[in-house]
Amino acid sequence: MSSQSAGSHPLGVGILGAGPVTQAIHLPSLARLGDLLTVRHIMDVDPNVAASVAARVGATHSTSIGALLGDPDVDIVAICSPHQFHAEQVIAACRAGKKAVLCEKPFAMNAEEAAQISAVSQETGVPIIVGAMHTFDPGWLAATENWGDLPATAHTIRSSIVLPPNARFEDFATEIITRPAGGAPDYSDIEVIKGALRGGIMGLAIHDLPLVRAFTPDFDAIEILEARHVRPFGYVISLRTPTRSIELRAAMNNTWKPEWAFEAISDDAALRIDFTPSYVQAGSAVATFTRDSKTTIHGPFDHNGYEGEWRELAALASGTKQPPSAQTLIDDLTFALDIADATAASVDAQQAAEPAREGVHA
Amino acid sequence: MSPAYTVRATPEAREAGAVALAVASLPESFGPADAATAADVLVINGRPGWTLEAAQAVDGGALGIVVVNPAPEATDALSAAAETAGTVVVLDQRWASNPALSGDQEAVRSTMGRAAMLDSVATARAGTDAGELLADHLAAVVRVTGPLENLRLLRSGPHGYAVSARLANGAPATLQGILSDARPAGLDLSLLTDDGGASVAVPEPIAAWPATVKATGPQGEVLLPTLYESAHRATWRRLKEHLYAGTIPSDLHRFAVLTESMSTLS
Repeated sequence: MSSQSAGSHPLGVGILGAGPVTQAIHLPSLARLGDLLTVRHIMDVDPNVAASVAARVGATHSTSIGALLGDPDVDIVAICSPHQFHAEQVIAACRAGKKAVLCEKPFAMNAEEAAQISAVSQETGVPIIVGAMHTFDPGWLAATENWGDLPATAHTIRSSIVLPPNARFEDFATEIITRPAGGAPDYSDIEVIKGALRGGIMGLAIHDLPLVRAFTPDFDAIEILEARHVRPFGYVISLRTPTRSIELRAAMNNTWKPEWAFEAISDDAALRIDFTPSYVQAGSAVATFTRDSKTTIHGPFDHNGYEGEWRELAALASGTKQPPSAQTLIDDLTFALDIADATAASVDAQQAAEPAREGVHA
Repeated sequence: MSPAYTVRATPEAREAGAVALAVASLPESFGPADAATAADVLVINGRPGWTLEAAQAVDGGALGIVVVNPAPEATDALSAAAETAGTVVVLDQRWASNPALSGDQEAVRSTMGRAAMLDSVATARAGTDAGELLADHLAAVVRVTGPLENLRLLRSGPHGYAVSARLANGAPATLQGILSDARPAGLDLSLLTDDGGASVAVPEPIAAWPATVKATGPQGEVLLPTLYESAHRATWRRLKEHLYAGTIPSDLHRFAVLTESMSTLS
């Protein structure tokens, strides 16, 4: 079923971790890019999952990272394992001499890990990109080409996300085998609230934080004004820097109607980007600029950021494009970590200020 | 045929409330007073001190008073005087007077108890006074939600503000003000529940652009009937109805709740 063109060989892809993200996001995206990329190796700690998912694409399977990294047919490694393994696996993939690495977000859990990864990437020359799909969305890329001085002049930034449960969209994208078990969080426990907020930032907001940072030159002076949890999963966070006001909203509930909007507003110009929901191959975001009562719309384009990531990887691995600055990846990560840490501190401070209401809504 | 009630407006109120247009749209009921005679209805600007000015109008025998863009202040004395005299006092508020927020939107109101989050954004031109915008914003939000708890001003400055609050069921509520010329002024309100919610978009009151109210549930999304009546005209229509019926509107009592909320902003 490959659409490999005559005279060229698609680059081989190996994927570490064969859970819902691999099944619902990466395999459908790669299926659209048969001229450029083909899946050669699937690794998962569950041998049945590895075998089953590999069989879908005619790939080799294994339960060992070493086996995948030692597979000469694998040119590009995608790391889709649990967050805590990302850093060591990125480093191992670089040292294995692969041509490029995609790491699902976040690519590290702290700044030290990020610096180590950056050093290894520089030493080995292996380019790394992080799977924050919105930065690869053609709608966002069109915005970057047309935003003029808005990154310098914007004073207000908003990210607003309403999403149905992931599983519903996974089921629109593929037939999932094995899902991680869910739990029933105890919201009377402040540590649960803090963990949920941190998870919201590092798992959901992190898609838009590189976009926020693009409009926030003084991002290293970020201050949390308030962070609150939204049940069952979401957040309301108000932040500011000396020059920017930033509002983050998210709610994951049982609605059928998703909304994912990013906005940057100055005195005389505004950008709104409406992203398509996660998982589904629903085309790109649409970027809308308004200036002086004029509205300019960019998009929609035919593919989204998931496919954009893989196009970028193919270009990096074949040497037709320069890799992104490692500092950009580090800055994006530390920005997210700073917000996550400050959010936890803010929740502690709020609880100290009004303990009576805690456990109702943090 | 003469209109039922004559009207006189102060120059500021005439402009801010688009009084000529609103009155002209109810020609059987209202018309301008001539210079020599006292008017039945007085229109005043809602700048600080407006309650005193309105009380003087009540004492002067006005049958009706329209207050355009009232600033938060105590209305107890005015309310008592108006009730005693039988004077109809209506408030013409930037967004809260829009007929889409008239309080009989059951589809929206019924979601309040199940709300998980309320997010609202008010946009106004750069240079607008942030405090005045917040008063207009809060007036419109509480029209939909009822009183908010634990109001807290997180930030305020030349580009806008952020206010934190809680709905009656404890769910987080936010009011964000954005000052920018890039977009038309207006108010957007999004109320989320576990399986959907409601959204309200209210335009400026100068023209009859309709507000849109949508209710989202498991069966889909419903666009509630859109009303092509500006907030200004809706105010004057209410005034007419109360004058004809001899009833006293709840505007001042409702406004007292808003004033109380604004005074608790910490």
